[in-house]
Amino acid sequence: MRKIWAVVRREFVERIRSKWFWAMALLGPLFFGAVFFLSTQLGRGGGVKRIVVVDATTGPVGARITQLLNGSPLFRAVSVPAGGEVVDSLTAEVEHKALSGFLIVTDAAVDSGKAEYRGSNVSAFATIGALERTIGDVVSAVRLEREGVDPRVVARARIPVRLETKKIAGGKTTGETAAQSFSLAYFMGIILYTAILLYGINVMSSVLEEKTTRIVEVLVSSLRPFQLMLGKVLGVGAVSIFQFLIWGVSARILFAHRRDLLGAGGMGDADPVFQVPNVSGATAAIFITYFLGGFFLYSAMFAAVGAMSSSEQEARQAQQPVSWLLVLSFLSMFGMLNDPASTFAVTLSLIPFSAPIAMPVRWAAGNLPTHEIALSLTILVAAIVGVTWVAARIYRVGMLMTGKRPNLKELVRWVRAA
Amino acid sequence: MMSPAPILVLDRVSKRFAGHTAVDDLSLSVPAGVIYGLLGPNGAGKTTTIRMIMDILQPDGGTVRLFGEPGGGRTHSERIGYLPEERGLYRKMRVLDVLVFLGEMKGVDRRRARQRAGEWLERLGLADWRLRRIDELSKGMQQKVQFISTMLHDPDLVILDEPFSGLDPVNAQVMKDTVLDLRSRGKTILFSTHIMEQAERLCEQLCIIARGRKLVDGPLSDIKRTHGGHHLVIGFDGSVGGAAQVFADKRLTSKVDNYGQYAELELAAGVDAQRILHALVASGARLSRFEMREASLHKIFIDLVGPEAARTEGEPT
Repeated sequence: MRKIWAVVRREFVERIRSKWFWAMALLGPLFFGAVFFLSTQLGRGGGVKRIVVVDATTGPVGARITQLLNGSPLFRAVSVPAGGEVVDSLTAEVEHKALSGFLIVTDAAVDSGKAEYRGSNVSAFATIGALERTIGDVVSAVRLEREGVDPRVVARARIPVRLETKKIAGGKTTGETAAQSFSLAYFMGIILYTAILLYGINVMSSVLEEKTTRIVEVLVSSLRPFQLMLGKVLGVGAVSIFQFLIWGVSARILFAHRRDLLGAGGMGDADPVFQVPNVSGATAAIFITYFLGGFFLYSAMFAAVGAMSSSEQEARQAQQPVSWLLVLSFLSMFGMLNDPASTFAVTLSLIPFSAPIAMPVRWAAGNLPTHEIALSLTILVAAIVGVTWVAARIYRVGMLMTGKRPNLKELVRWVRAA
Repeated sequence: MMSPAPILVLDRVSKRFAGHTAVDDLSLSVPAGVIYGLLGPNGAGKTTTIRMIMDILQPDGGTVRLFGEPGGGRTHSERIGYLPEERGLYRKMRVLDVLVFLGEMKGVDRRRARQRAGEWLERLGLADWRLRRIDELSKGMQQKVQFISTMLHDPDLVILDEPFSGLDPVNAQVMKDTVLDLRSRGKTILFSTHIMEQAERLCEQLCIIARGRKLVDGPLSDIKRTHGGHHLVIGFDGSVGGAAQVFADKRLTSKVDNYGQYAELELAAGVDAQRILHALVASGARLSRFEMREASLHKIFIDLVGPEAARTEGEPT
């Protein structure tokens, strides 16, 4: 119908024209890039650690540990001989943050496997783990050499195993590694959550604007309230798809040049956890399908919230239950990433309110049977129809109401009466 | 005289909200080509009635017919201009874009809407503002933009809810001129107001409601005749002639207060004052003054509604 089309066009054009949209279009990739960067930094405990190795050994163990630590991108180490006031002065340096910490190595390290680390942050697991591994490597090599094993044999024996992981999808082995699947799932989760929330709230404020300015009276005397709500949701939905297109293109460019960008920070592609996955057509389709499903479901609720509120302030409060549904789905993503096939994950991908995030995350993280997707989509569509039906009734009554926000009992009456 | 076919008919329309009846069994008929007033104190049900005509609210009982066809305001929205009591526009949109959009809502295609909006903006002196955002306009300018949005699609029926409330004097004049201009082009105007003086000057027909019920409706002159009584003030210039006989004629007058050179009388029901003038002149009286004095609509309104109800009540919505 022409009038619905006019509503869609107005929503789309006015939003595309706003500075806000272009700020999001440009800052979006930066924002997601920042999330990417922070995740990798948090994963490794944040930057290069400056540490001092206090060498109280009689043999070469301390020197070898220092050398090996310097071979790692995580540490910058210097060795000092143990002495009367060394520990006190180093403690002071850690206190002044000139130093991350210091390692005290004695002969006991080789004999009984004991060493001591004193630092400002001893709960940084990545740092401690790396230290332990380094000391362990040196100590076990020294022990073997003591028993008369050829150092070259020791070196060969210590070549680590690299487990290559490939995802099986649709009966074929894909080129995707576990790390790629993980980062894809992670990103899809973040983007879905952000976009559904953002555009849902867009629908809400648009509804609220028409309500508070009373334009809605003129509109509703020209087209049915449901048509108006539909046009609005479609218009904002079209804006979000357009936004994705912009993000998609700029993300591609950003990823293509990531080596230049990250390389400048001395990181290269040292970290295997976050890698650029191949986004297949099927993955893109799942993403868009569930995004749209989630967007329709949530924006119907946000529209109802807008219609029942009389001011921005009231709306902000009233939208909290709706936002929390989305936040919970987002948080549960982290549990799902560990085991995408668990009962917990399957349940969440069938509940319509969490499915829009859960399903694409599981899809990206692991393989999914077609019937599960079909079932989840069927439930989602049914929920969209049901929720929209209820929301449209709240919308219709709420748009003409002013004054106090309705309580639950009144809402039920609105739904019945409309 | 044949009255033209009604353009709007309400037949026993009712609307109840939780706890109270906003409109109760209201019937009225608006002929084509008149200025029709829907009068009543605040909270009488005027806005609710208009919203039911516009299909914004569904009546709980009764029917609304427009242009002699079934279907309410939404079905006929192409032919109706509606200005709600509380007004607002999209604050961030450009003037021209708002008008084009609202025109589209009334079924005008974009190109025509753009052209007509341009003409109207020109006419109301806003041509230079067409590409500015609504929130850059003064309140008075915004009100003008709102009129334009109501008239853009050249509606046959214009429904204005308290059109003069909140207008500055300049815009009140623009509004009045617009209403009269529409009337002269054969359009029908229905407007609601609680200000009787306004209604008295503009309306040809009206309906007075209070507490959701109709008290009286019909042409203003009929209402004045039946409810106001007709008051005649006569001054003599020396010769009274046979005035006493004329005054005593119970077919002509119902009440006389004669001071000799000055008299006040009330006409008998259905009597045309011209007959008395004629009779007086024929009897040889010389008149210095002959003045019909009608009760004001305000007085009729107070008499009908009662001073209690005439006082402002809170709107139900």
